[in-house]
Amino acid sequence: MDPTLDLLYRLADDQLILGHRNSEWNGLGPILEEDIAFSSMAQDKLGHSLQLYTLLHELGEAEPDTVAFTRNAPQFHCCQLTELPIGEYDFSLIRHFLFDHAELLRFEALADSSYEPLALVARKIKGELKYHVLHANTWVKRLGTATEEAITRMQAALEFTLPYALGIFETTAAEPEIISSGLFIGEEELQRRWEESIAKVLAQTALTLPDLRLLTPVTGGRHGQHTEHLQPLLDEMAEVFRLDPTADW
Amino acid sequence: MLFSFDPRISRLELPESAPAPPDKAALDQFPTYEVFHQRKENSAYVYVGPVHAPEADVAFLFGKEQFSRRFPCTGMWVVPTEAIRVTEYGDDLQSVYDRLPLLPADTLAAPDAAGLEAYDIFHLKKRGKAHTHVGQVQAASPETALQAAKAAFGDQRPVVNVWVIRSADLLRSDEDDRDMWTTTPDKKYREAIAYKVQDRIDRFKQEG
Repeated sequence: MDPTLDLLYRLADDQLILGHRNSEWNGLGPILEEDIAFSSMAQDKLGHSLQLYTLLHELGEAEPDTVAFTRNAPQFHCCQLTELPIGEYDFSLIRHFLFDHAELLRFEALADSSYEPLALVARKIKGELKYHVLHANTWVKRLGTATEEAITRMQAALEFTLPYALGIFETTAAEPEIISSGLFIGEEELQRRWEESIAKVLAQTALTLPDLRLLTPVTGGRHGQHTEHLQPLLDEMAEVFRLDPTADW
Repeated sequence: MLFSFDPRISRLELPESAPAPPDKAALDQFPTYEVFHQRKENSAYVYVGPVHAPEADVAFLFGKEQFSRRFPCTGMWVVPTEAIRVTEYGDDLQSVYDRLPLLPADTLAAPDAAGLEAYDIFHLKKRGKAHTHVGQVQAASPETALQAAKAAFGDQRPVVNVWVIRSADLLRSDEDDRDMWTTTPDKKYREAIAYKVQDRIDRFKQEG
């Protein structure tokens, strides 16, 4: 695939799928204000995906709605981390923490992308991502230093989630060209910055960051290999759209 | 069975009417924090509303979500509700400062005395409006801060009510995080005004 399309599909699909997943907390959040916060951030992510699908449309791909609602799981390029069910709040918070640290660093780097339309979008959305990271950090610091139950659960969620989080940085065949053309700094450099960034926050808690070199990343998502959880999510997400794909909303 | 236009709800096969919720133990709420926002650069901070939170950092997150998404915002302060010293309410058109009891002169510290702290002063100009930041004073206690506020801002009219807050109790947004407040523009879909349905209703009626 063309390196720009390859990169944009990965970025957009991550945002759409995690945005949809996190929206499932709507009405179920632990307290009202947190429910609103988590739902609003989910809506931000859907907004980000729309901007990225619009860039793809400008490059000749189908309409954003068509791309979002008519593909099946093997045609998606999101990492498997984003498609896992919301589980308990500990898992959803840790996923939010691990994913959004990578997103913020990713879009800060993309603000200097050689593909100017993408750089413009990145400059617009990195402010929102900064807040998403602040939100994640605040809860991780709070729960990671709270009661024994909170610390045990956050630690377990961290250990469960990390191999999936390492899958964020799975590369595709287009990677060398993505880097050489100045589109993006590349996944390896992003992962290095991400490790520094999450370690800095976790050091302020009672949580322990395992040795990442000993973990096996869960990969495949960038190449269309997904968990059994993605297709049901897509079916539900597109349920209303597919009733009448030509409807004017 | 409960029917909903959201198919996810219908699939839950819920009964038509919900069972009565179990009695909750008392005091399951977090304490409240009060939130002030700045609508544009260099304008005064204005009270915007309360949030429940376990601590100031979390109150800040919630304040941002509740109060900064529907209109422009360039900064935010939060303070525990219980840290706000509130005067009595005065009549419209008058100043509540006029009714302050005079403290003995020796309780008012000299401006350069040690042990002074900064206090932020907020005025309510009219009932139903919001308290607005008017400035800071140095004082040794909330009571003397109010006297200092009278000296500094007492000529303003009307002042229906005054809030005195020890500056150290206010958590303020970081100047380095200015870009956090510039949310993605074009979010009309978040607002009711964006849902223009009258055309469709008219068309639907004609077709019917």
